Amino acid sequence: MENLLEIKNLSLSFYENGAEQKVLKNISLDIGRQEIVGIVGESGSGKSMTALSMMRLLSPAAVITGGEILFEGRDLLKLSEKEMESVRGDDISMIFQEPMTSLNPVMKIGKQVEESLILHTHMKKDEIRRQVIEALTSVGLPEPEKLYGKYPYQLSGGMRQRVMIAMATICRPKLLIADEATTALDVTVQKQILRLIQKFHEETGTSVLMISHDLNVIKSVCSRVIVMYNGDIVEMGNTQEVLRHPKHDYTKTLVAAIPDNDVPSDRSSVVLEAKDLRLSFKEKDGVFSGKDQKAVLKGVSFCVYEGEILGVVGESGCGKSTLAKTIVGLNKHFTGSLQMTCSRPQMVFQDPFGSLNPARKIGWILQEPLKARGIRDKKERLRLVDEMLVKIGLDPSFKGRYAREFSGGQRQRISIGLALLMDTGFIVADEPVSALDVTVQSQILKLLLQLHKEKNLTMMFISHDLEVVRHVCDRVIVMYLGQIVEMADSDELYKNPQHPYTRLLFSAALDGHKIEDNDDSEDTEAQEVPQGAGCAFYPRCPYRKNSCRKKKPMLRLCGDNHETRCRAGALK
Amino acid sequence: MKEKQFRKKHNWQLIIGCGLTGFFVLFTIVGQFWTPYDVTAMDAAARSAPPSLAHIMGTDNFGRDVFSRVMNGCGNTFLVAFCTVGIGAVFGTAIGALTGFYGGWIDEIIMRINDAILSFPSILLALILISLLGPGKLNIIIALGIIFIPSFARIVRGEVLRCKSLEYVQSARVMGISNFRIIFAHILPNIWVSMLTAAMIGFNNAVLSEASMSYLSLGVQPPEASLGRMLSEAQSLIFNAPWYAIFPGIVIILIILGFSMISEGLRKLQWGEN
Amino acid sequence: MKYFIKKAVTLIITLLFISVITFAAFSVIPGDASMTRLGTEATPDQIEALREEMGLNKPVTERYILWLSDALRGDFGESYQYEGQQVSALLADRLPVTVLLAVISFLMILVLSVPLGILAAKHSGKWLDTAINQLTQITMAIPSFFLGIILTYIFGLILKWFQPGLFISPSENLWGSIRYLIFPAAAIALPKIAMVVKFLRNSVLSEMPKDYVRTAYSKGSSKNRALSRHILKNALIPVITFMALVVAEILAGSIIVEQVFSVPGVGRLLISAISTRDYPVVQAVVTYVTAVVVIINFVVDMLYQLADPRVKAA
Repeated sequence: MENLLEIKNLSLSFYENGAEQKVLKNISLDIGRQEIVGIVGESGSGKSMTALSMMRLLSPAAVITGGEILFEGRDLLKLSEKEMESVRGDDISMIFQEPMTSLNPVMKIGKQVEESLILHTHMKKDEIRRQVIEALTSVGLPEPEKLYGKYPYQLSGGMRQRVMIAMATICRPKLLIADEATTALDVTVQKQILRLIQKFHEETGTSVLMISHDLNVIKSVCSRVIVMYNGDIVEMGNTQEVLRHPKHDYTKTLVAAIPDNDVPSDRSSVVLEAKDLRLSFKEKDGVFSGKDQKAVLKGVSFCVYEGEILGVVGESGCGKSTLAKTIVGLNKHFTGSLQMTCSRPQMVFQDPFGSLNPARKIGWILQEPLKARGIRDKKERLRLVDEMLVKIGLDPSFKGRYAREFSGGQRQRISIGLALLMDTGFIVADEPVSALDVTVQSQILKLLLQLHKEKNLTMMFISHDLEVVRHVCDRVIVMYLGQIVEMADSDELYKNPQHPYTRLLFSAALDGHKIEDNDDSEDTEAQEVPQGAGCAFYPRCPYRKNSCRKKKPMLRLCGDNHETRCRAGALK
Repeated sequence: MKEKQFRKKHNWQLIIGCGLTGFFVLFTIVGQFWTPYDVTAMDAAARSAPPSLAHIMGTDNFGRDVFSRVMNGCGNTFLVAFCTVGIGAVFGTAIGALTGFYGGWIDEIIMRINDAILSFPSILLALILISLLGPGKLNIIIALGIIFIPSFARIVRGEVLRCKSLEYVQSARVMGISNFRIIFAHILPNIWVSMLTAAMIGFNNAVLSEASMSYLSLGVQPPEASLGRMLSEAQSLIFNAPWYAIFPGIVIILIILGFSMISEGLRKLQWGEN
Repeated sequence: MKYFIKKAVTLIITLLFISVITFAAFSVIPGDASMTRLGTEATPDQIEALREEMGLNKPVTERYILWLSDALRGDFGESYQYEGQQVSALLADRLPVTVLLAVISFLMILVLSVPLGILAAKHSGKWLDTAINQLTQITMAIPSFFLGIILTYIFGLILKWFQPGLFISPSENLWGSIRYLIFPAAAIALPKIAMVVKFLRNSVLSEMPKDYVRTAYSKGSSKNRALSRHILKNALIPVITFMALVVAEILAGSIIVEQVFSVPGVGRLLISAISTRDYPVVQAVVTYVTAVVVIINFVVDMLYQLADPRVKAA
């Protein structure tokens, strides 16, 4: 049987300031009918450009310099703009990465979903409406009738991505392209969205092209994988086969393991003790209405031992970043006590592009902490800066450059060096590797672990990536809506999760196995359950009982160094 | 496609703008020390003479050389513009940087007053202040200077607020660097392009406002020459001596155009960077 | 609705605030009103008598309340400049002229700038856009009074389409009045048209690369459909706010342009009052103009709320 789509010798270049930059180098690939194919690669590898070429949605700066894209035998590159419009949304449709910005903010959901039907069919109004409602129902959205008249701002990110899927699939396309469709979502939502795409594929036989930087996403749904690197296809074939026996160097680093933390901590002395930390943000709303307080931390107590790496995990909005900022002194209006035995803890931030001053040279930036420490002698400062640059794996000559001249990984090294130059024994790292490519991630983690080993550095490691936390951390705190719901040594926690939320997180995490339909990671996010005065997790809890609504659960010891608010997750 | 590349490589707006402004600054400075004719010298033989080699912009109804008066009159235009933008920039930057960085209720009140003032056109506010202070060059400077404070304050505040939430500022705070140093050593070097753009828009408005006020006889008082003043005198003579109105008018337009092209050019420069 | 009430309360407070400011400002003028009226050679007795007559000896708060209650009834006292004339009567005479002038220029701006702005954005980077760009930049640099002088010269003196200085009152001949006002209105409108064209063009252009537009294309929308159904509404929302500033600018422009074309409007009244230190008139005009600006901002706020669904949530 002929392939649904074939790309033959496609080349694509960017022209900027008159210079040509090759983005795709003569690539060829095919997508069969009823197949889920994945493209994996790091940012800048050309994977998104490949997808956008198929839709002919490239920005004007990108020019296709050769090759053809055959869709059911027709070369898409030779179609007129008008013919292409009838292909988009009808034969090929696409789901994008950012659910927050991919929907028109001033157009009702219904209007946006029905647009494809209006453009590609001759249905009557009520028939269109019926179809839209059906599509919204099929992607698991509650109350589709009401949703029809709502605006995107009234929906959560996960719900918006469901709307995107409804929109992309309403015309039953032959090919669905999902470009990093789950990257911006929480782990718990990610798996549901993937399952939804898979379900659609199974029901309609639509071919799916899955584009992701995340190997686990590809592993969990794709039967075949294409590995792209620097504008080239470096490897392709059966997913299991390719990833088990990678041949190309890049694929090898891609599947390489996360480094392990092999330094045991003795837990003899406490570096930091937090007791009942509470913090609220004011939600401003004009002069006349009262100011609402939004509680972000609701009584957080824990301690950090010297020389350990403590992980903090949880979904976005659970308060883990706020906790980090509070500890390093960026939030002053908290209540509760925060006792530290070390000097000022330092912080490593997530965004390697925002954390270095763009108007200053690296040498100046790295001297700031030394000036803050009161080292007046410039020669001495420069010597320490040089020393640090070498320690973090960079060259002393980098002093004279600006941050924009460095890659993300190099910047993150500099950020780590910056924190260390304050001569602190305690570092709070807020998602330090999340913004980096997988291959760079492991290098930065190696650097952190090496420094931890050499200097007996204490670290708080905040991350949404459960796999990284498992490998790197001694102990782990699980947070949900401003509270610690579970806390244990990492081996114990991963082997024996107690709280239903921890369980949900773990089962939602993609572990590199295919998603099964009978997976028990069912999340009830979409249902609206009234929040009671009791357990905060009640509305989403699969094990909830009536009594949970009234009683607030406390953290209790349930094993060696293992505390949890609830043990329902342990009973299967 | 090719056009875009050309534009990116040569920021021609910035180049032409700087050229125009540079030329007029030089023209004005020379005009304060030397003019082809005495600024107030009347020549009965050459009343309302059209442009010629002797008088390249013609003469007015008293036979005064228009070119010389324009050269000299630009002095007042630039003096008022520099002083008012100076007042606006210094106070506006201080207010904007401090309120933006510290926030709180003082910030809220100041910004509300700021927004209220900004919803009024500057000429209107200048008229109100002049009606209180009385006409005159110094009063125009004071009035326009006060009026330009809010626009600077808003731009600087916005930028400081943006930078404040960026991680490099937070990282500086974690290191325990003083707020003063954070504002002036860390944040300000990042926002100078915006401030320069604001200054250029300020010059643009100041020249326009000064000319308008002088045209209404509320600004620079005779016998000093001023472009706006010349236009108001020229209006009644326009049928017989249109050059008397046209040349000062064109000079005003070119000066304003120079500043607005610089600000546009700077904005493009900034976009290119981001 | 809640939003409306909140904004309405803000509006009333702002208006009160403005009245306090204007009153206070005119109370602290060096040499009080009695001096201005009697001149510097008046005897202390004469001044005292006039102060008593004008109520200047009463405490400030009482004077403010008196002034405000009078002002609310439309009574701003007597003009110094035109002896025996009520300020309110002077205003009532001139207000229709200025309103007519402002309406004509606003219509000119609306009719010309919206299509031009969209046209420029649609052809961005091409010669049409470049031409519109150059034109707007130059037009914005022309002071409206100079534009007025040039229009008078060309259309009044050379082409003789209207007679400069011979304004026809709208109560006498509305059509004749409009025919005269078209020229001052154009002098006000042209630089503002340039402003709005540029703003709208940039607004449309900044929407174009956004993700939701790409989504629209991915559904099979044509360029025109994406522009008319998706981009335009998003791009026009900031323009609504901008319009408040434009209307205020029209008012400011009218003050100057009325002078150029000898149009007997509020602006001309203000200028002559300022130069003769006719404070009751200045105070009345300033109060009126500021109130109009504030009310326009209120109306624009309401329109904005209608246009943007996200505001309701806030």
